[in-house]
Order: sequence, then structure tokens, then C-alpha cells
Amino acid sequence: MPLWMLLCALWLAPMLLAQTTSRAAEIEAARDRKQQKLSPDLPDKWERRLLYMKEARLIERFTFGYYGFRASIGQMATGSGFALGPEYFRQDLAGGALAFRASAAASTRRWVKLNTTFGAPRLFRNHAEWYVQTEHHNYNSMDYYGSGPDSKEESRTNYRLEDTAIDTRFMVRPWRWLAVGASGGYLLMNIGPGQGEPPSTDKVFAPAQAPGIDQQTNFWRYGPLASINYLDSPLGPRSGGLYTLRYDIYRDRRLHQFSFERLEVDLQQYIPLFNKRRVIALHGKAAATTKGEGQKVPFYFQNVLGGANDLRGFAQYRFYGDDMILLNAEWRWEAFPALDVVFFGDAGKVSDRSRDIVRFKDLETAVGFGFRFNVRNATFMRLDFGFSHEGFRFWLKFNDIYGKLPLGQSSPLHVY
Amino acid sequence: MCISRTPQVKLFIGLVAVLCVAPAGAKKFYDDDPLVNEPPPRDASQAVSRKISDYYDFFRHNFTKTGERHSPGRVIPAQGVDTFGEPRNGAWYARRHYYKPMTVEELVRGPGNERPPSIDGRWKVVKAKTEGITPGFEIVDSKGRRYVVKFDPKDYPEIASAPDILVSKFFYALGYHVPENYIAYFSLEALELARDVKVVTPTGEVKPMRRKDLIDVLLGVPVLDNRYRSTASLFLDGKPLGPFRYHGIRHDDPNDVVAHEHRRDLRGLSIFCAWLGHDDSRAINTQDMLVEQGGVRYVRHHLIDFGSTLGSASSGINSPRSGFEYIVDFGAGFRQLATLGFMPPSWALAKYPKFPSVGRFESKRFDAAKWVPEYPNPAFINRLPDDEFWAAKQVMAFTGEQIAAIVRTGQYSDPRAEKWIIDCLIERRDKIGRAFLEKVLPIDKFAVRDGSLVFEDLGVKHGLVPSRQYIWQWSVFDNEAEGKSVIGGATSGKVPEGRVGAGGFLAADIHGGDIKKMVTVYLRRQAAGWEIAGVDRRW
Repeated sequence: MPLWMLLCALWLAPMLLAQTTSRAAEIEAARDRKQQKLSPDLPDKWERRLLYMKEARLIERFTFGYYGFRASIGQMATGSGFALGPEYFRQDLAGGALAFRASAAASTRRWVKLNTTFGAPRLFRNHAEWYVQTEHHNYNSMDYYGSGPDSKEESRTNYRLEDTAIDTRFMVRPWRWLAVGASGGYLLMNIGPGQGEPPSTDKVFAPAQAPGIDQQTNFWRYGPLASINYLDSPLGPRSGGLYTLRYDIYRDRRLHQFSFERLEVDLQQYIPLFNKRRVIALHGKAAATTKGEGQKVPFYFQNVLGGANDLRGFAQYRFYGDDMILLNAEWRWEAFPALDVVFFGDAGKVSDRSRDIVRFKDLETAVGFGFRFNVRNATFMRLDFGFSHEGFRFWLKFNDIYGKLPLGQSSPLHVY
Repeated sequence: MCISRTPQVKLFIGLVAVLCVAPAGAKKFYDDDPLVNEPPPRDASQAVSRKISDYYDFFRHNFTKTGERHSPGRVIPAQGVDTFGEPRNGAWYARRHYYKPMTVEELVRGPGNERPPSIDGRWKVVKAKTEGITPGFEIVDSKGRRYVVKFDPKDYPEIASAPDILVSKFFYALGYHVPENYIAYFSLEALELARDVKVVTPTGEVKPMRRKDLIDVLLGVPVLDNRYRSTASLFLDGKPLGPFRYHGIRHDDPNDVVAHEHRRDLRGLSIFCAWLGHDDSRAINTQDMLVEQGGVRYVRHHLIDFGSTLGSASSGINSPRSGFEYIVDFGAGFRQLATLGFMPPSWALAKYPKFPSVGRFESKRFDAAKWVPEYPNPAFINRLPDDEFWAAKQVMAFTGEQIAAIVRTGQYSDPRAEKWIIDCLIERRDKIGRAFLEKVLPIDKFAVRDGSLVFEDLGVKHGLVPSRQYIWQWSVFDNEAEGKSVIGGATSGKVPEGRVGAGGFLAADIHGGDIKKMVTVYLRRQAAGWEIAGVDRRW
């Protein structure tokens, strides 16, 4: 018998013998075969890449930053286009007692936003927080359609909103669900001609129609605020409520023509059904402005409706008015663990007379549907399709629809 | 190329063909059957530690077909079992409660209850915990023993720690290798930070761990009377080698010769996971250890981390979908999409208690046959009715008192929460019995007594059927040819004598009216009498 046959026979012999003697030998034969081809148990290339991603903490570094540095994506008012910029964020200063953030962002429409925030977020064992914040915006094409509920869609204009503010805020949280505090700051405003397709606001609207369009001034602003928050998840709530009340006093420091006070109430209620896989989300918001004799509310500080966050069948910043009311209702159902589908109805109106706000007639309405993409109980992206008598609107946003009303935020309210 | 077929070559080809098709001496039963224990393991010192990416595991199992599956016309029976269909004692499994009923004390003891972290001295924190979603760290107690210490989420005290303890005891009694887990209470003063401990910040920075980092961890967990409740999991013996997968084999372990998706102890594990609400039963919650026994180092396979069981998600309550649908279930998703949310799935109607220590764990909507983990598991998918029977009979072996005793080891502070868990486990146990035992003829624990073959009918025992008439047919069994010759008139439980000599076999085909559900019991004639050689089940 040739040598190769002999070798093969020798190779097969143990298996054959093992199979014939006992169950234990059968197992040993299988082990013999395995022993001859032992190799390191290594992940394939895709798994190696994913392991590297995890061990190098790439996602965390993208999310939380690398040694404090990270990219700031979005975070600008609707209409800015895609915004991007660097951010330096530390919440571990003085052993976590202090936090600091500095960011700069520019958008595809050449809007610019700068921000620095410094604060102590965990005072008195997390029962209080204090922040000071400076912020600068230079938004060169904010839409304006005129004041009041009867403004025309064809009246679209735009203006440059440039402001710089320094504000401080102190909040006390006696209980986890209750926050009370106050904020105060100084605001430098500069309104200029808009850029782009629609005509500049100052070319269409006279100062009487758009108060403040022709004169620049600065403001002190301050006031108390309070909120009750028992949402189950702050970034993607499915049950609970968030009720916010704030009263802001604006004092015109240069021209003494634009001082006013504003009371704002924001109510959110989430009614869970079927183990929170269905949610009726309700939102109501009202703002009423008062002013002294001879004073006016500058148009850029008027309440605004229209767009991705309120009346979704209308253009962004479609309605301006001294006062406003807004009602939203959503029927949300979970189709997939990371995807909720939504039917919604929006109603609201602006007015220049407070008493009109409480009359629920002549409300502008919109209906539509949308999709909410969720990760870890937080909505990170939403698509909304809104319909109204002014047409169809599509919105892609990286936030929850109602969001939290910023407490003591600097800058005009609608462009935070 | 042309090969001349010399007589030697022809002989060799013929020999190989015969060996391949019908190995010489192949037979159904060997003398050492049923082989209860795995043969002594071979040295696996060369096995190296490796990690598994949980993202990869998730995507691979959701979007590709992993492991070998049944196909039309090719059903792959469970492997790694003896001729009774029972997994052998070895690196994967150890026969415990069902095979030799454990006392309440043994059940409560589980894998061990004599080595909790010592409270005689301070605990030295030696490492920050970096794996998993719950906060924690590793400690060495005053006796030099090392533990992983984990905590409950602040708003849900006991929700993860109680299951981590008590479920480990269930899995131990069910036969798996698990760590010793303890409920441990301690105060901040009991902690001492070892030198050179590093912590990784959320931004990926590695920095020395300071006492404040410890305090930060403890600020996020429940505290009662300045004491923190934790799960202290004693480090497993040996060298960690990383998790095992539920498909394929470990390539560096000579003893791992059965594809995991075909192991009965892993196929049947799906039923145990269903019972205990362990939807997080994925590779990442397993651990291979290189252990030494009798001078040989081999790989032992463990289940670990039971904090996400009994309705807990470790960091909070589990999703109500848990156990009912995979995370990625396109069919269910599109149904919801199409019905505009007005036809909620059954699981969305489940009622859960409002105890913070109990997650979404219930028994009314629980459907044992349809239960699924978070994402497809090839071993679970491959399970067959005999795998299910094997698991269900073990679940049914726990009495209400035994279940209650084990649940109490979770040390729920609210008796209502404890009762809820006990009641749910009992009802889920019964549903498992109803779902799976009768898929086959549920007879087991065979013996020859007074000249008759006797057994236990688990369907009757557990009240699934009031009684059963059995149809018998005895045959002489040819162990070499695996053929049966019917013995005329032998149609009762009495063993026909005088038909075979020493070493010969008889086979008894038994069914309870449904001929598809047939059990064949093989008896071997030994000098001392009849011995049960093995069992075949059909369905």
C-alpha cells in the first residue's frame, strides 16, 4: 500500500476505533477532530470595528465630546438651514460642582450664534442651580408678515435680528417636581435689513406697523418663573405633566418707548394608554402682554405662531402679535420600539388685544401626521407633515415637539 | 488527470466509502449508555479571552440567519444529550433539581451562600464598573474576595437587585453554572478606594478615581438610613474568556464539539427564560471561564447578570413589549402602522402592579409558546417539542413552596411585591406545563419494577389530563441494525421475558391514543436484570 494510503488510514483509525467502542470514545473522537483544527476564537472584521467603536467610545465622544470638545449640530432657530460649529463643554469642573459651555455655530443661511454658559448646577445637593449666560445671534433673514391675526401670507418680508444678551438665573428645587426662581439680564438689540428673496421688512412695514424697526435700543429684563414637572421622561415624555409660568419685565433703557411685561403660561399633559404605547399629548400655551401708556411691544419681541413647533400647517414665524394662544393635541402610537406615529391637530391665534385671546373663535388650524424617532426614551428626530388653508408644510426637527420652555433663557423667545 | 484504479486504490476507496457511510460497529446504544457525565475535559489552556460586540450581536441576529437551522425535510435533533435526551453533566450543565429533588435549603443556597462580602472590614474599591448599564464598581472585601457591586436605579429600589439574586438560584437549580450573588448593604464609610483605580468619564477621558466619583455613583442610587443596597456578585473562579455565543462553537476549546444552537441545554433555556422573564438572554449576559479541575484547565460556560429579569430592565422597568415581540418585528410594526394605533397588541393591555420594586412582570397575558427574547436567538428558535418537554418538566418540578422560598432570597421589602412575583411565577409555571408537556407523550422517569416497565406521566401528575390509557407494543430490538421485531401479544407494561439474552434489547412503543406522540423505551438485558438504555420521543 502506498505511503499516502497508509497515512490516511492511520489518520482515520482513531476515529473509527473511537466510534466502535463507547459513547465516551465517540465524544473523544469528536474532540480529536476539533483538536486538530483549533484556532483562536476571533471576531470578524465587522465585529472588530464595532468593538473598537465601543472601546474607543466613539459614540460617547461624538455625543459628550472629547476632552470637552465636540460638534454642535443644529441648535439654531428654525429657518437657519443646517447649522454646525464647535463646542467646548465641561460639566466636571471643581469636581462636578461647576459647568462651562462655549459654542459657536454658523448655518448654511449664514446665521451665526455664539454662546457661553457658566454655572453651578448642583447647589445644595441638587436642590438649586445658578447660571450666567451670554449669547449672541446674528440671524440675517427672519421672516415677518406683519402684526396681528389678519396678516397676509403674501406680505412676507425679512429682517436681520442681531442681539447680544447676558442673563443670570437662579432656581430652587425644594422637591424634584417643583422649580421656582428668577432670571435677569441685559439685552442689546440691533435690527437691520433682511437678506434674500423676500423684501426687507423696513421696505414694506412702517415703524407704526412694525414698532422698533427703525430704532435700536437695549433692555433690562427680569422676572420670576416657576414650573411643575412630573414628566416620566424629559426628552420623550409619555406620561405626566409640565406646567410652566413666567412673568417677564422688559425695560427699554435707551428710547423708553418699548417697555412691557409679559405673562406666559405653558401647559403640557401626556395621557398614557395601553402601557404607554399610546399617548394623547396635549399642549396649551398662552401669552399676554401689558404695556404702559405710550409704550409699544417691539415687533421682534412679539409672540409668534406658525411653524414646526406650533401651527405646523403654516410657515415658520407666520403670525406675530402681542398676545397669543395655542392649543395642540396629538394621538401618538408606537409602531416600532423606536418609532411613534402621530396624528395631530393645532389651533391658535395671535392678537394685539389680550381680551381676544380668550375667545376661541377665528383660530388658525392645522392638521397632519408625523413620525417620532426615539432612542432611550428620547425623541431625537421628528418628521411632521402639516396641512392648513395656506397649504402643506413638511418639518424635519431634532427635538420633541413641545419641548421644555427655556427658563430664563436669553434672547427673544421665539428664536432660542 | 487519469488515475489508474489499482486493486490497492480500489480497496482503499471502498474502505473509505464504507467508513463514511456506515462506520464499522455503529450502533444505537453503547455499553456506557446512558452516559450521564461528559468525559473528563481536555486541556484548553490555549483558549484566549475575547469580547463580543453587543451591537454586532444585535444586528447579526436581527438581520441575518445565524447558526444551522431546521429546514424542510431536515429536522436537527438536540445534541449534547445522553440516550434519554438529557444533557450530560459537564462544562455547560449539571443535573440538579428535577433529577434529584433539592431541599428548600439547597434551593435557597443555590450556587453558594457562605461567601457574602465580609462586613468585618472595609471594602476596597479596586475598579470602576465599565460594562453593562447599571452603575457600580468592583470591590475586594477584608477576606480578599472580589465582587462586582451593582445597584438599583434610584426610582426603582430592589427592581434589579432582587431578581439578580433569586433568578440566579432558579437557574442554578435548573442546572446552569451561575455566579454566587448576594444582597449586600453597606454605608459610604465602609468603602475605601484602592490606589491607582481609574475611571472613564462619559467623554472617554481616563482619570484617577477619587472618592467623589464613588459618591457620585451613590448619589444616583437608592439609599435608606444611610445604607445602600447592592448586588454583590462573587467573581467566578478561573480566567474570564468572554461570553459564549448561541450559535456555532468556540474555536479554541477542544471540548466544545456541539454547535450551540443544537445544544438541548441552550434550546431549552428559552423556556426557562420565558418563565423568569429573562428577555435579555443574549450572549453578552454569559461568561466562559477557564477553570482548573484535576490539573486540567478547561472552559466552563456560565449564565450571568440577571438584573434584567422579572420585568426589570436593570435601569428601570422593562418595556411592555418584552417577551411578546422582538425589538425588531416588522410584521407587528406594520400592523400597528396600518391600524393607526386603534388595535393595540394584546401585550399592551397587560396589567402591572404599581410596586416600584416590580417591573413589568405578569402572568395573565403571558403566552409561554409565543414568548421571545429581545432579538432572535438561534438556539431558542431551533427548539423542538422534545426540547420544550425537557425544559417544561423541570419548570413544573418546582412546587409553590419552593418558588416562594427562592423568591424570598430576593429580600423584597414590600410583601405585596414578593407575593406578586411568587403568584406570577406559579401561574407562568402552570402555563408552561400546559403549553409544552402535552406536545409529546409526557412520560418520564422510567424504571422496571416487579417485571413491568413503569414511568411517571407528567401530564397526569400535573393535572393536565385526568388519566390516560396507554397502548403498548413490545419488540425485540436489534442494536446493530437498529431494527425492531414485534413480539406478538406483548401489549402491556409487563416486560416480555425470555426473548433476548444478556446484552440483548427490547423496545416498548407506548402512546396514549395519539400514535404520533409515541415514546419508545429501550431496555437492555443485563446479568442483574433489566436496565433502561434510552428513550426516543416522537410527536
